[in-house]
Amino acid sequence: MYILGISCFYHDSAVALLKDGKIIAAAEEERFTRKKHDKSFPINAVNYCLKSQGITIKDIAYIGFYEKPMLKFERIIAQHTAAFPFSIKTFLSAVPSWLNEKLMIPKVIRKKLNYKGDVLFIDHHLSHAASAFLVGPFNKAAILTVDGVGEWTTTAYGMGEGNKINLMKEVKFPHSLGLLYSALTAYLGFSVNNSEYKVMGLSPFGDMNKETNLYYPKVKKMIDVKDDGSYRMDLSYFLYHYKDKMPSKKMCDLLGGPISPRDCEMTQRHKDIAAALQLVFEEVMFKMLNHLYEVTKCENVVLAGGCALNSVGNGKILRNTPFKQIWIQPNATDGGTSIGAAAYVYHTILGNKRVTRMTNGFLGPQFSNEEIKYFLDKNNIIYNQFSDDKELVVKTAKLINDNNVVGWFQGRMEWGPRALGARSILANPCNSEAKELLNLKVKHREKFRPFAPVVCSDDALTYFDCDDPVPEPTDFMLMVYPVREKWRKIIPSVTHIDGSGRLQSIRREQNPQYYDLIKEFGKLSKVPILINTSFNIRGEPIVCTPYDAYKCMMGTGIDYLVIGNMLIKREDNPQDIWDSESLAKD
Amino acid sequence: MKKGLFSGIKEGFEGFGKIITTIVNFFLLLLVYIVGVGITSILAKIGKKEILSKKLHQEKSYWSDLNLNDSNIERYYRQF
Repeated sequence: MYILGISCFYHDSAVALLKDGKIIAAAEEERFTRKKHDKSFPINAVNYCLKSQGITIKDIAYIGFYEKPMLKFERIIAQHTAAFPFSIKTFLSAVPSWLNEKLMIPKVIRKKLNYKGDVLFIDHHLSHAASAFLVGPFNKAAILTVDGVGEWTTTAYGMGEGNKINLMKEVKFPHSLGLLYSALTAYLGFSVNNSEYKVMGLSPFGDMNKETNLYYPKVKKMIDVKDDGSYRMDLSYFLYHYKDKMPSKKMCDLLGGPISPRDCEMTQRHKDIAAALQLVFEEVMFKMLNHLYEVTKCENVVLAGGCALNSVGNGKILRNTPFKQIWIQPNATDGGTSIGAAAYVYHTILGNKRVTRMTNGFLGPQFSNEEIKYFLDKNNIIYNQFSDDKELVVKTAKLINDNNVVGWFQGRMEWGPRALGARSILANPCNSEAKELLNLKVKHREKFRPFAPVVCSDDALTYFDCDDPVPEPTDFMLMVYPVREKWRKIIPSVTHIDGSGRLQSIRREQNPQYYDLIKEFGKLSKVPILINTSFNIRGEPIVCTPYDAYKCMMGTGIDYLVIGNMLIKREDNPQDIWDSESLAKD
Repeated sequence: MKKGLFSGIKEGFEGFGKIITTIVNFFLLLLVYIVGVGITSILAKIGKKEILSKKLHQEKSYWSDLNLNDSNIERYYRQF
């Protein structure tokens, strides 16, 4: 039985395909349309999922949609009603799209896909919960979902056991920890629903001491948190419930200045505000999780929702709560709900036993060596072919050890926002100039943002002060841990200002070639760690096809591209196909 | 040439239709906003009904009951 999960029309449209409960394909629409966070109907992602299995839409038994549109519409009408007459502008801009398509999901699906089967609507936070619990490793687990907003719910907790989920409690809109983070992201001059992770990355540059950070008590004023982690916002500091702007004048007055313009220089004040926000965020999360443990008495916890991508907070969970094991959906934002909706239909609604366990994120399109060779030959691209995998690994490790920046395009594309070794840019972390080089020549991103290290699971505890055993979410780059003191100066390019690193751990069974490459690099450099950053430039989705990868390499400072069993040297080919610098945007 | 002329006319009419639709939709929505949303809002304010629970309070918790655990398929055919 095939079941399709779809999420779309808000941000990060995505599709997941389950076969007898097993996730066999999943992808975000942005990778195909090349529009970051694309929210349009994911027709390309659906086509990919079906084509990858050689099936048609007629083979789909059910489609699970990731939310209940009418409940969401009710909330939108309610928030506009509550703010009458000040909500007129957002009402006139938001409602037409609801009347045109969002309230007619079955019709839209039938029309776009020519689908004649059943469409089931799974509550937004239930989809999140299912995306974390039903495909995670635990038979029984406490569940916490935290995001901006779904229909009404912004935070929910509950319990999962077997193939059942019970979400017991909620915090409802307009109170939202996710929207608090987004509002301050907007205040600091970054884009909402996109750059929250940049604020997280900025926070260690600020004062992370609650006693001395001047903005900590100010951010605390914006949210009333109870001992059990439940909270409400002081809405006088926010406008998001009825305007297209998030911070209010009162917030600007409290924080001592107007909303920062885009791309402004980050001052110490910005950094301290980011630090205060991160401190408050973690405080609320830990309170909620401690309460959740008290209620469930279960030692396993699973997380989903956009806030579960806060890897700095995630890395501290096991040390600040009684939970012993954790799992997080790698695509924890709305994109991941497509997996949740499909899994909920198959397991919970249809009552099938759980069979799948998500151990890697390689669910996207892949290209055979023949397909890649055809593309290269057709475009007169000069390349060399490796004789076998061993040669590929040895030569690539040497190139990286010689301080070259290498584009790495192998196997199935990753699911979720992180590049995990299928569409990655790799570099030498021991090179003290690698960070500058990657930032200026390749990624064109803000100077303060750190790069992530990838390390084999069996080496992780040597270099990082991880929880022991290393939690599985680390495989998906979802946990930040301190780099051990003695290694910080040896791998400066992946050590953040506070001595931390957002590591990816990799087990050989997940991706043997990638694992072997790291080990081979370790033989040459004595440090089996690589810089792993997503294969894209700022503002662009991660590359999907050989064309995307080649185009990205030629427009940036990437020296080599290892694509399938072929090696392309940038210098050997005509350059300046496009000017990546001018295209880099937020 | 005839084909080009007809497609040009067709495109022109389509564009004109879109403009008219946008204008009509705008006024209809404005009417809905003023009459529907506005009156509801005023009545709610008179009746002191809180449409969004905005107020902070001194009770121990802000958690509210959700109890989302119904796996009956009928519930999921509904969009609400």
